[in-house]
Amino acid sequence: MRSTIKGAPSGRARRRWGVSATGAGALAAALGMAVVTAAPSSSASVAHAGTTTITWWASPISTSGPDLRKTLIAAFEKANPTIKVNLETAPTNTDTNRADLVTTISGGAKTPDVFMGDVIWPGQFGAHGLALPLSKYLPKSFFNRFAPGLVQGASYDGQVYGAPFFQDQGFLYYRKDLLAADHMAVPKTWEQLQSDAVTLVKQGKVKYGFVWEGASYEGGTCDFMEYYADTGGQVLNSTDTKSVLNVADVTKVLTFMRGLVTSGASPAAVDTFQEPQAMTAFQDGQAAFLRNWDYAYSTSQAAGSKVIGKVGVAPLPTFAGRPYPGYSNIGGWNLYINPHSTNIPADLKFINFITGVQAQTIEAKPPFSEIPTNAAVRANPSIRKLNPPFAVLAQTKLVPRPAQNPNYPKISQAIYTNMNSAVAGSTSPAAAAKAMASQLNAAVSSSGL
Amino acid sequence: MATAELVHEPRARSMAEGSPGPIGRDPNTRHFARVGWGFSSPAFGVIAAFTIFPIIFAVVLSFQNVNVTGSGFGLQGFTTANYHAMLTAGLWHHALWFTTIYTVVTVACELVLGTVFALVLERLTKGRGMMMALLLIPWSLITVISAELWSYIYNPTYGVLGEIWHVITGASPPNLLGYPLDATIALMFADIWKTTPFVAIIVLAGLVMIPTELFEAAEVDGATGWKTFWKVTVPLLRPTIGIAVLFRVLQAFGLFDLPYVLTGGGPGTSTQSLAMLGYNTMFTDINFGPGAAVAVSTAVIVLVMCLVFLRAFKQQVGKETISA
Repeated sequence: MRSTIKGAPSGRARRRWGVSATGAGALAAALGMAVVTAAPSSSASVAHAGTTTITWWASPISTSGPDLRKTLIAAFEKANPTIKVNLETAPTNTDTNRADLVTTISGGAKTPDVFMGDVIWPGQFGAHGLALPLSKYLPKSFFNRFAPGLVQGASYDGQVYGAPFFQDQGFLYYRKDLLAADHMAVPKTWEQLQSDAVTLVKQGKVKYGFVWEGASYEGGTCDFMEYYADTGGQVLNSTDTKSVLNVADVTKVLTFMRGLVTSGASPAAVDTFQEPQAMTAFQDGQAAFLRNWDYAYSTSQAAGSKVIGKVGVAPLPTFAGRPYPGYSNIGGWNLYINPHSTNIPADLKFINFITGVQAQTIEAKPPFSEIPTNAAVRANPSIRKLNPPFAVLAQTKLVPRPAQNPNYPKISQAIYTNMNSAVAGSTSPAAAAKAMASQLNAAVSSSGL
Repeated sequence: MATAELVHEPRARSMAEGSPGPIGRDPNTRHFARVGWGFSSPAFGVIAAFTIFPIIFAVVLSFQNVNVTGSGFGLQGFTTANYHAMLTAGLWHHALWFTTIYTVVTVACELVLGTVFALVLERLTKGRGMMMALLLIPWSLITVISAELWSYIYNPTYGVLGEIWHVITGASPPNLLGYPLDATIALMFADIWKTTPFVAIIVLAGLVMIPTELFEAAEVDGATGWKTFWKVTVPLLRPTIGIAVLFRVLQAFGLFDLPYVLTGGGPGTSTQSLAMLGYNTMFTDINFGPGAAVAVSTAVIVLVMCLVFLRAFKQQVGKETISA
């Protein structure tokens, strides 16, 4: 997914998806047939009673309230009485989750049949044969149901490995009450955001101006990619085989990020912040602005929050002189199939259901409020209304992480470790940018340490 | 001049008296040997399956061009490239340096503090059990849990330490985990807090084994407390200290859970230990060959360190001569 993905479908595209959605039922029926004929024979694990049991490996999606996974399973089992889904809870830490799957699948285990995996995994899992190439089992038309760009992001080397399950992306959350009191508009540039944040801190209205994710971990790469894409920069070339990092642009980005700290717009501790720390500061009323994912809205409005009714959501700003809005990094989760699964037809039916209109509507509505991947559901205005981040989705621009290279973990590490040391001030932005470039070259080319 | 020789008696004499001839020729003994082997074979089997096989497999992996696929590890021929990649990687040099410094500093501090605690505990006449129980709380906490607790303590926005700092100095709290040196010290502190009790308990066990006559004799000879400590207590504690240090070095060199939870190896990769590097190389980068090389070389380094240690301390055991 090299080229930038334009946010949500345009009005025209929306109509197109809408049309295809009316035929969704027919497509699903046809798909069921296609699936059964395309998949290799696998009657071994079908029980005598005619029911098949598949195992779904998925980490918890919602942290409170009803469990989306269980709700979806119940709906699926109702629609497919001959298939039972056994939920296996995966670790919430994405790296631990991956480590478990790598050991399990490379060891030849037949379960889990279907696993929920990060959007950044297709390159690595595809290259190592740890996921089934779905495009070999499903008709091309199946993938038309997804919003543009998502399928490309779930592909590696010409094959689609993951079925997009729910999407996530960066948003700007702000305190409506504070901005209104000072007659401030929602910032459209990073520079404006910085000066607004400094003003609000100086006035003593908040302890911190702008909180975000600056720690040395995968999330740091997400935040960096947003600033960097705003300068027009790219990390890898169009074939994902070579680093094309622009050191001058990276220096500019890192200088700005470090400047957030030195100007007092962001706390010095932002270099240790992951999502929970940034979220806590914001929902405790300590910060005026927050960069976070889709979940931050519902969390900020949940019981215990000190900012209920005071939070607005907007696309991320961009640098002065660049077209608004800025880029949002793509996150989210896909569904993959274990190549050793003995229930591939049932696995595909499950994926077909979960990415279909009924299931995607469930996940898009409160209390779950995830961003659906199904274009027909995304285009439904009645669903949009229920979910404020989802409502601004159409205005956002998306940038993926350079995850199509199998060495992505090392690529990401080169990005977030150097971003982090520049934000902490332990390395100068220029030196960090140079180190990032040289580590990226090493990461892309070698399979060394 | 008080001189004490601790000499171990040969233990095998009584057993040898019972057997009429060389072991191999007596059918009875042979029978018992067979029974013995029979009884121990399940244990050997378990050890072979869960200890010896994984070790051999790791060594094999480290010398192979490993291709991880959906159907297992493809071993694509002998190579030393994994070790070459490791030896030339800045990450490995840093992890080795960090792990070594970490081990030396934490073990030294724990040893000194542990010995002090043990000496105090030994002199306690009342509530020794109570104090020991209190002392053991940090040690009994699972590292992952205590690391989470420390991350709350160190957190500069809502951490206890930051708040105390703020109240005392009025300045904004330090961002302890944000800088390499600070994060390293913070990690070491959490480790020393947790493991000093373990050393204290072992040293205490050694202390109570020392015959009181030796201290009485030293007192009669007019030795000062300080002199008695260095000339009587420390030499006699040497074997105990040796064991404590051995355990601690083995554990500290395999450092994983504390930085994994507390710093994630950061900021940057400044607190990435050898074990974390091996884990990340294998399971994050899916790069099993070089990862195995890191794991095997770490084991070899710690093994050599322990052998040197054991040798140094073994010469002392049973040959202690105390002179004042």
